[in-house]
Amino acid sequence: MAEYPEHLVRAHRLIDGRTVTVRPIRPEDFAPVREFLNELSGESKYMRFQKWVHAPSDQLIHFLTDVDYDRHLALVCTARSGDRDEIVGEARYVADSQGRTCELGIVVADAWHKSGVAGILMEALIHAARERGLARMEGLVLSSNAEMLRFVRALGFETEPAPEDRTLMRISKVLQDSSAPQAR
Amino acid sequence: MKRIWLDSYPQGVPAEIDARAYTSLNELLERSCSRFRDGTALSNMGVSVTYAELEGLSRAFAAYLRKVLGLRKGERVAIVLPNLLQYPVALFGALRAGMTVVNVNPLYTASELRHQLADSGAAAIVVLENFARTVQEALPDTAIRFVLTTQVGDLFPPPRRWLVNFAVKYAKRMVPRWFIPGAVQFREALARGAGQSLDDPGLGRGDIAFLQYTGGTTGVAKGAILTHGNMVANVEQVAAWAAATLKEGREIVITALPLYHVFALTANLLVFVKLGGENVLVTNPRDIGGFVAELGKTRFTAMTGVNTLFNALLNAPGFEAVAAASRGTLKLAVAGGMAVQRSVAERWRNATGVPLVEGYGLTEASPNVCANRFDAGEFTGKLGLPLPSTEVAILGDDGREVALGEIGEIGVRGPQVMRGYWNAPEETAKAFTADGWLKTGDMGRIDERGYVEFSDRKKDVVVVSGFKAYPTEIEDVAMLHPGVKDAGAVGVPDERSGEVVALFVVRKDPALTAEALLAHCAKHLTGYKQPRRIEFREQLPKTPIGKILRRVLKEEASRLRG
Repeated sequence: MAEYPEHLVRAHRLIDGRTVTVRPIRPEDFAPVREFLNELSGESKYMRFQKWVHAPSDQLIHFLTDVDYDRHLALVCTARSGDRDEIVGEARYVADSQGRTCELGIVVADAWHKSGVAGILMEALIHAARERGLARMEGLVLSSNAEMLRFVRALGFETEPAPEDRTLMRISKVLQDSSAPQAR
Repeated sequence: MKRIWLDSYPQGVPAEIDARAYTSLNELLERSCSRFRDGTALSNMGVSVTYAELEGLSRAFAAYLRKVLGLRKGERVAIVLPNLLQYPVALFGALRAGMTVVNVNPLYTASELRHQLADSGAAAIVVLENFARTVQEALPDTAIRFVLTTQVGDLFPPPRRWLVNFAVKYAKRMVPRWFIPGAVQFREALARGAGQSLDDPGLGRGDIAFLQYTGGTTGVAKGAILTHGNMVANVEQVAAWAAATLKEGREIVITALPLYHVFALTANLLVFVKLGGENVLVTNPRDIGGFVAELGKTRFTAMTGVNTLFNALLNAPGFEAVAAASRGTLKLAVAGGMAVQRSVAERWRNATGVPLVEGYGLTEASPNVCANRFDAGEFTGKLGLPLPSTEVAILGDDGREVALGEIGEIGVRGPQVMRGYWNAPEETAKAFTADGWLKTGDMGRIDERGYVEFSDRKKDVVVVSGFKAYPTEIEDVAMLHPGVKDAGAVGVPDERSGEVVALFVVRKDPALTAEALLAHCAKHLTGYKQPRRIEFREQLPKTPIGKILRRVLKEEASRLRG
């Protein structure tokens, strides 16, 4: 496993003045991530996993929090709430075995929609993926998720209907000018 | 977009209807009751009710709700009945009292019913005794203050009433034991209401007539708010489309689809009441032998159904003779709710001599949006032309209209489109584009003649014989079982129902059987939502970041069936 990418930790100020921190996830985030997922509306969970997630299993949270920072990178966005930090959003990519392309996923707490958190997370994720030498970022978005589609288009993603399943849209963005993978 | 479909309209069908023809459904009913007094409005199991009788019965029920129970205008009344004479009486009674009707599938499980009652805030409920046990279980956590129960034969004349009620309760044992303190019998309510006067609740087009529940992708059903204005408009739209075919005071329509479904509610009950026609209420069309026998005794002129129902009739022994006998009398057969198979349409035409005309709609549009021409010679395989005063557009992902002929999401505007979802402003906002198009969740295109064609579904929904089942709701129920770790539901093609639900399950308890899980699902889900097949897997197919791949599950499920 790669070392904790400390350099990806960064504080941000939102338009409304609140400050948040984006940082790579840690295995210790197990409990906060469970709380974060449990607090999500059914709609938000459905958008993220594209199925019903009643109560996230330990296995799922383990998968989400115990990442190798290399093929699988996850960033969380935290905000100060009383005397502790709470997770208000997370974004991740998982690269393919050739290290060329990656799939992205993002979800933001319902109360933090339209706060700018999603944009900050995506920007950080794209930056990290570029740095990692990935050539493309891809994803599947529900066709009915108009808000997400608008959001990723504004970030320069191409969107097209998934030919095999019209309930989904494929989104993709070229990250590097050259498609050659960088040696690592 | 220019309304190019107008050029394909049959002669005599206007581009616009008069959406102000009636101020409310009450006025529509009352006008028909005075114009067609002695005409038969309803019949069920051989017993008929005239328009004058329907007026009196619904007035008595309205007066009971208003005067005896003291319910106020705008309160909700839930109706949990199959197609019986009591249904229109309760429905028009509630509307005439100024209440909003919440139509409930009587086959709902207690948890499904509880959600609908709690969400709608219904104050009163009318239920057939056969389903009273479910109501009893669902009552806690709801705002129901009054329960009215009825028996199958309650509006039959004696001795038929006593015989039928006795047979249902004791001989056939179709009534599970129930006890609801304070429940009042429907007959008693009518008797007490009959002595009361009824004041006009003073309804307008903006008052809510129905909260019509429909599923949602995130698992809970939402109530589409359908106003008197919406419903009157849709009745006028369908009536205008049918004007050349259907004649006032002369039609007999077979109402075999349940009236709690908005299609039969509008296309059969309301349209034919406007026309002064007779609704033949078929209580249990699943008893196909009894249904065919009933058809054999009726000189019906029109019928509505879903593909599944027409197919079942065509395959039923004895239907051939009934179909042959209906030649010359039957004028119209309309199918909605689900795609019509060409083979069924062709067999229907050969058997009866009339085409099976496909229509398209959705709960949120009261429901009729498109229909094929009633004088169509051939089965078109299309959803049809937008009805008068209806606009249909094909929308791109940005919510803007795409070029003619291109595929996109079907959007609808018109006076029949709902106001929104009950108590769900966010869901309501998502249902419409900025330009006010209702997003149907269906993908399609408009051809150069203005016919709307269906291509695919945008929403993740399984349509079982015209009923929408959402995978998330089924997954939610499956995962309530302690032996289930993960579950994925998909729709698979089915000869009979169009589609059925297949469920893939990852077990937590290795001893869990498909039978046990099916029994669990049956406890929480009404029939059409229940999985027809359960497959156990070590894991579900997912993308690297953990999104389920339903397409892979669908392919697997189709292979397993093939």
